[in-house]
Amino acid sequence: MTIVAQDHGTGPITRIPASRLRVVVVNGSPSRPSKTMGLVDVVLDNLKDMLPIEVSRVDVYRLGAGFTGAIEREDVTPEVEEAIRLAEDADLLIAAAPVFRGSYPGMFKHFFDLVEQYALANKPVLLAATGGGDHHALVLEHAMRPLFAFFQALTIPVAFFASAGDFDGTTLLNPRVHGRIEVGLTDVADLLRARATGARSSTGPDIGE
Amino acid sequence: MPFEIGIMTFGELTDDQATGAPPSPRRRVRETIEQAQVADQAGLDVFGVGEHHRTDFVGSAPAILLAAAAEKTKKIRLTSSVTVLGSEDPVRVWEQFATIDLLSAGRAEIIAGRGSYTESFPLFGYDLKDYAELFREKLDLLLKIRGQNPLTWQGRFRAPLVEADIAPRADGGTIPIWVGVGGSPASAVSTGRLGLPMALALLLGPMTLHQETVELYRSAAAEAGHDAGALPISINAHGFVARTSQGARDTMYPYFAKGMMDNNHQRGRGFRMPRAAFDAQSSPRAGLLVGSPQEIIDKLLGYHELYGLDRAIIQMGFGGVPQKDHLEAIELLATDVAPVVRREVALRQRSVA
Repeated sequence: MTIVAQDHGTGPITRIPASRLRVVVVNGSPSRPSKTMGLVDVVLDNLKDMLPIEVSRVDVYRLGAGFTGAIEREDVTPEVEEAIRLAEDADLLIAAAPVFRGSYPGMFKHFFDLVEQYALANKPVLLAATGGGDHHALVLEHAMRPLFAFFQALTIPVAFFASAGDFDGTTLLNPRVHGRIEVGLTDVADLLRARATGARSSTGPDIGE
Repeated sequence: MPFEIGIMTFGELTDDQATGAPPSPRRRVRETIEQAQVADQAGLDVFGVGEHHRTDFVGSAPAILLAAAAEKTKKIRLTSSVTVLGSEDPVRVWEQFATIDLLSAGRAEIIAGRGSYTESFPLFGYDLKDYAELFREKLDLLLKIRGQNPLTWQGRFRAPLVEADIAPRADGGTIPIWVGVGGSPASAVSTGRLGLPMALALLLGPMTLHQETVELYRSAAAEAGHDAGALPISINAHGFVARTSQGARDTMYPYFAKGMMDNNHQRGRGFRMPRAAFDAQSSPRAGLLVGSPQEIIDKLLGYHELYGLDRAIIQMGFGGVPQKDHLEAIELLATDVAPVVRREVALRQRSVA
């Protein structure tokens, strides 16, 4: 089946419309707005220039008592169950967290404590973190990557870190971090295209909340 | 611009190392004005006063100290170093500095900074949560006030201005506004985008510490369409100059160590800077501008080469250096350092052009 579709930026071309990549952001920051989401916004902007995506976000700090009070998966409320499912079913999971007391926040870990053991196996997972200074950068490699290694997830090789000084408020300004994001995403663009299972995009890329 | 050399002070009230008592605030404000006067007479280009809202400083209102200095000086430029703009009303800042500009016949300047100290935010009813947004908005307003009068303006943190008449206007039509940058990449980028001159704060570390900051600043400026090469860069750094290398270090060290102890905390407490660490910071490739006139000349020319520097403002009295020593250092900086650096930089600029 060949359909004429408007592709973003390249003019009308004949192509099979691509499926949208279903991206789910798990946001481990309690702040609103936050530097962590400022970093993720740049990732999503780059991503949507590469392929059609649809984005959902789970704010772990807004899941409420049905989440914080749950010890086992069966304890969670239906809304929390839905949020966890969303993450488990994503084409691409973006795990993003600020550094709290030397690691990801406990609330962020609690979310993944409720995720089914094999639900993330072989799933592309992109790691992003923010910290007060550059000395926190290895949280990506020493805390976050091992967590997703447990899940046997397919963590993307280049992970993204930004320090407080890279932001004006929550806007990421350091061009070096921008550059790293572009490089890291270009590495896996083909993989992500192949993994997209969302609705076919007839009008180019889309981004939803 | 021709290379400029100046001094700055925080007007800190540091306990006397012999008596354990701080100087009286009355004495300290007089000393501050005297520093400006000596710097002016000896031929330095800039005098700066920093803003700190604590009882161990007399510099909570730099504009008033600068106004007093304006009356006692003839040629030296008078600047805040820095104005903590995020907790100020830009209308008031403009009124004060425009008044200084009239008093001094066009010598007023503003270095607008986010501020490394944050005491002023709760004092004036601002939330530190809005730190970045406050600075961005207030800098925008200050620049607009400078640019046009009357002014209609609207923002988040103050009532809107409708055809507001903001007076007086500057003596010569405008007042230079620099942005103080501590070295964070984001500050350098946003200052470059605005095409504003950048005043880099340099405390300790290698001379090359801010190379990346300067690169980010110039490339952000170029990207935004400004003439990046023409944008002036200044450093605000600690230092002390004396007849001999050893004499300069021996005089500066105990006061600098005391100043660091009082103001630079780890685990909420000051820490003693060992002499060996101080000496390392004073070595040829390290940032402290301490030494003989020739050492300071070499270092400033080194900075000029590294950063394309246009101005250096040196803080030489930090930690309560006795006024007599401080004034001698100011004179030496003006007579034995500044003329050589100005001449050498001018030669370099000519050979480039």
